[in-house]
Amino acid sequence: MLSQSIIEDVIAAALATGGDFAEVFVEDRFTNNLALQGGKIESSLSGRDYGIGIRVFKGLQSVYAYTTDGTKEGLLKAAGNAAQAIKGNTMMKPSQLQKEIIPAAHPISLNPREVEKFRKVDIMKRAYEIAKNYHNSIQQVTVRYLDEEQNVLIANSEGKFVEDRRVRSRLAIQSIAVDGNQMQPGFYGPGAHKGFEFMENLNLEHYANEASRIAVTMLGADPCPSGKFPVIIDNEFGGVIFHEACGHGLEATSVAKENSVFANRIGEKVASDVVTYIDDGTIANEWGSITIDDEGEKARKNVLIENGILKGYLIDKFNGRRMGMESTGSGRRQSYRFAPTSRMTNTYIANGKSTPEEIISNTEQGIYTKYMGGGQVNTTTGDYNFAVMEAYLVKNGKIGKPLKGATLIGNGPKTLQLVDMVGNNLDHGAGMCGSQSGSIPVNVGQPIIRVSEMTVGGRKGDE
Amino acid sequence: MNLQEFKEKLFHLGEQHGFTDMELYYEREEKFACELYKGKIDSYDTSEVFGTSFRGLYEGKMGYAFTEKLDEESLSFLIENAKENAQFIEDEVQEEIFAGSEKYEEGNFYSTNLADVSIHEKINLLKEIEKHIYAYDERVTGTDYFMLSSGETKRAIMNSKGLNLREKKNHVGIYVSVIVKQGDQVKNGEYSKFTRNFSILKPEEIAKHAVEEALSQLDAQSAESKNYPVLLRNDAASALLQTFTPIFSAENTQKGQSALNGKTGEAISVPSLSIVDDPFLEEGLLSSSFDSEGVATVKKDIVKSGKLVSLMHNRKTAQKEGVESTGNAYKASYKGALTVAPTNLHVVPSDKSYHEIVSSISEGIVITELSGLHSGANTVSGDFSIAANGYFVKDGKIKNAINQMTIAGNFYELLNNIEAIGSDLEFSMGFMASGYIGSPSLLIKKLAVTVE
Repeated sequence: MLSQSIIEDVIAAALATGGDFAEVFVEDRFTNNLALQGGKIESSLSGRDYGIGIRVFKGLQSVYAYTTDGTKEGLLKAAGNAAQAIKGNTMMKPSQLQKEIIPAAHPISLNPREVEKFRKVDIMKRAYEIAKNYHNSIQQVTVRYLDEEQNVLIANSEGKFVEDRRVRSRLAIQSIAVDGNQMQPGFYGPGAHKGFEFMENLNLEHYANEASRIAVTMLGADPCPSGKFPVIIDNEFGGVIFHEACGHGLEATSVAKENSVFANRIGEKVASDVVTYIDDGTIANEWGSITIDDEGEKARKNVLIENGILKGYLIDKFNGRRMGMESTGSGRRQSYRFAPTSRMTNTYIANGKSTPEEIISNTEQGIYTKYMGGGQVNTTTGDYNFAVMEAYLVKNGKIGKPLKGATLIGNGPKTLQLVDMVGNNLDHGAGMCGSQSGSIPVNVGQPIIRVSEMTVGGRKGDE
Repeated sequence: MNLQEFKEKLFHLGEQHGFTDMELYYEREEKFACELYKGKIDSYDTSEVFGTSFRGLYEGKMGYAFTEKLDEESLSFLIENAKENAQFIEDEVQEEIFAGSEKYEEGNFYSTNLADVSIHEKINLLKEIEKHIYAYDERVTGTDYFMLSSGETKRAIMNSKGLNLREKKNHVGIYVSVIVKQGDQVKNGEYSKFTRNFSILKPEEIAKHAVEEALSQLDAQSAESKNYPVLLRNDAASALLQTFTPIFSAENTQKGQSALNGKTGEAISVPSLSIVDDPFLEEGLLSSSFDSEGVATVKKDIVKSGKLVSLMHNRKTAQKEGVESTGNAYKASYKGALTVAPTNLHVVPSDKSYHEIVSSISEGIVITELSGLHSGANTVSGDFSIAANGYFVKDGKIKNAINQMTIAGNFYELLNNIEAIGSDLEFSMGFMASGYIGSPSLLIKKLAVTVE
């Protein structure tokens, strides 16, 4: 992508004013985005992102410069702009770059760049037909298709020189069911760190029917009651609750400055005994998986909470300096336009012992959430919220009427202590996570779990 | 390769491949951002980036492709991909390359004074603000983030029908979130300000705003969960409006994703509500004299005295309804697909101050912050159930902060339940939705409130 000698010159220029670490991140990314609406392809976009990010540290100061100008002059100018922020004399000589070959941990069998677009369109149309024909109340179906090939080169003054290719594919189906003035959406968006083989093997029947089934079910749902209830959260994308309630608070981004509610608590009991929480970027070909992170560190499996005890954080190089801890292979960024910081990959609650049937039959009165929407957290206070896409009332150990418009709110550290049952049906769901270093692909996951008390916000009684 | 050379080669190659009309859209951005933490520069970012997108008519259909690299490989990449992409487009109304509007209103969105402010002055401003933050109250323990960001954007549209539009603008913004501790309580308070006038950024005022906001969240109590009159403070009101502005897009009404389809000319809210879209707003983040298709922008009423006057259109949505484009064609960047979005859209303020409205409430809730808007609001049905922070009001006085809560309702119904509109227009810095959206404080007759 760029020659070793140019990169060596750029690193030297970046360190000219006294920096003690410099890094070059080169990105060349090809993307295809297609949208189908009402059975017709409405947009088809192809593009190429290309740019370079240069980062310099001096102690606890971090400087970042990025540019789309990949000429030697352009790069030296960007390196100079970065170096300008650091005051001093050249302190260190960078190590000689050593090319490191890391085998792809997530093999791709069919690169989407080599697949003709009509085959992609065909997948979208099949998904559309299935979703549209699910029920006569389905009035609109939107299918979005995404594939991308991101090529990166990461080099730094410690001698690192490594390249990686990340290929990802995702299909997102949104159905809207209509009855009179009422409109309800349903959504499913499976994705993987895979090529076009992912689309060819995708169970379209399942995903497209589910998107429509959710919309139709919610059309007939009652407004959700509000108040405090035991809440049963089903597996897969249900894991978004822990992503918000706990995952973000374990990122060095907020822990390093001791702003997180989880700072300085390693070894402490932060959750109930049944909770084991793991971030694992190595799971084969999952949406949030990586071979190396965006600082060139190999992905790994990080146990964050084990049987309720806090074991570790997600750490990037820069925040690791402030914390006096090593990187955990968690430095990620949306693109060259962002300096990397500690982020999640595939994060999940490990399997417990209860069966889903046991959990439901043991709940006298509560709320069961089958599919979650997104959420948000304030890592300083630990307060989080998330939206429920499909919920039901639980009465006398049985799942009852569907409920719409439920939002769950709570405080992360408190909720962790209130998880009283963990099921045995772990699964993962794909999502996009937005934070300091941009929007990145992550998986959230869990088996079915029960939280003994959560605050549910709804509209019932409002009329 | 420079831009002019790239354009000429590209259009030449396009013609050889059978493209009839072609357009090159160009953006160049220079940015500076700096974060300060306890007197030290915590992060410092500079950037210079550009990107171009090509679109062209191939066999009567529009194909798109973009690139950030102006080299020979990109020329063929753009043409081949745009050609392949064009073949799949099936929309019944086809886009066209636009020859240009009759006239373009002049706007001044570039401050030379701001361009002259040095990095040193910007960092000094942060240092001054930080001093005031820590001096203001001993309960201040730190900041979650504390950043200045400034930028200059140039954009151009050049096409084979002779259109050649260029524009540049700049801005500076301050974003701060202050953390306060009292006993074992930890709270934070945010404040942000966006402007083209560097001299209005007063360190003491910015510090006061953010610290007061954080302190006001301390000693939060629970409250009964029930329906209350709710005063959405200006920042919360604009965040909610931002989430629901897609309902005013003709693209969404045409797709059945907004309930305002066919409502043009009808009353959709209380008569006291008016909403305008103003591309020439002096301090507007999205001010511009032409939209992403090159159509001249105009200031216009969206809602006037409760009646829906016009939806927002681009050329394609306008053609479908046999009306004119309103100059609201939008691309999130040169990378994005062409869609519809507001420029600077806001609720027209009245003459009632925030304090006057608070004092009119016998029992109710003031909402100061909404969270999770990207997931808790259904822009299709209008239903929302959103996490919120705020205060309890009794007998016209703010009594105390309230624990985290949710407010739930329906946006279409809310438009008909506005009891008072404030004079305190403020714009929100939302990052999830498009458009620069503002509102004064809005008093809503009732919303379902659930307190943790």
